[in-house]
Amino acid sequence: MAYIPVNSTAEFVRLEINADGVDYSANVAAAFDGTGSANVLVVPALQDVTVNATPGTFRWKQLDSLSEKVVTIPSTNSVAVTMVLDDTAFFTGAADTPGIFEITNSKTESYFRLYWQGNTTGDKYIEGYGYLEALAPTVNPDAPVWTSPLTIAVTGDYYTGTV
Amino acid sequence: MAIRDTLLANVTTAISSSSIGVSSELPWASGDVPLYVKNMKKFYLSEESSATTQLFATIDRNDVFQKETAITAFITVDAKNQPSDIETVVNSVITSRLAIADQSVNECAVATETEDDRITYTFEYRFVTITN
Repeated sequence: MAYIPVNSTAEFVRLEINADGVDYSANVAAAFDGTGSANVLVVPALQDVTVNATPGTFRWKQLDSLSEKVVTIPSTNSVAVTMVLDDTAFFTGAADTPGIFEITNSKTESYFRLYWQGNTTGDKYIEGYGYLEALAPTVNPDAPVWTSPLTIAVTGDYYTGTV
Repeated sequence: MAIRDTLLANVTTAISSSSIGVSSELPWASGDVPLYVKNMKKFYLSEESSATTQLFATIDRNDVFQKETAITAFITVDAKNQPSDIETVVNSVITSRLAIADQSVNECAVATETEDDRITYTFEYRFVTITN
């Protein structure tokens, strides 16, 4: 077995977003590896990352069974992060991808790719598309640097890949 | 400009017309007697001490740090006959903490200690700023 550490430079978790307005739905990878690659925004200074990918279930009981029955229902997929706000990532963006605030504000469909452990040859990632939500920047005198949660509400399935 | 320099310059201006003078020397001890005890009615400011600690840890090491600087000042006066303007001087020294710009914390705590016929005012300044 092998753990998935992310504590060295080559192994950092990396979140990329492409919100250039192009519909890549049929080929998410093209938003990052192909024509859309120039518009990829790398989100820096992530504090924590949570990938939610649990299928939903529906359970019921019946009189002829001593245990519950269950069937799966569609998953609610999302990627949740907390980040220290970076001026470029938050306001400026990259090429045709606006900053995170504007992506959220304009409800632009966004493509994302999350590298689990770096982005060099052989490294794994998941990708998909959806909408940015749950942005809630906060700052206070005891921690005078803006931080914010951010959730990518994923439309449909995750796609997995290897660099 | 170092915090000590800025603070010293501000205090010098703030209490220039008072009965308390300002020394630019560090409050070193001569024969186990600190200068501020030996030379009463003079403001002495210590050297800075600082610590840089992590405020926010990030996965890609774009960590956010904060630098905390502490600096101590002393004034000793006659306890039996304090200068009539001592309260004004103390308030001016406390207010001088605001002369240090770009800090998220500008604090100053004052403590007094009486020994023999002397009373010593000790000012503990604390400044915190964000750094990389």
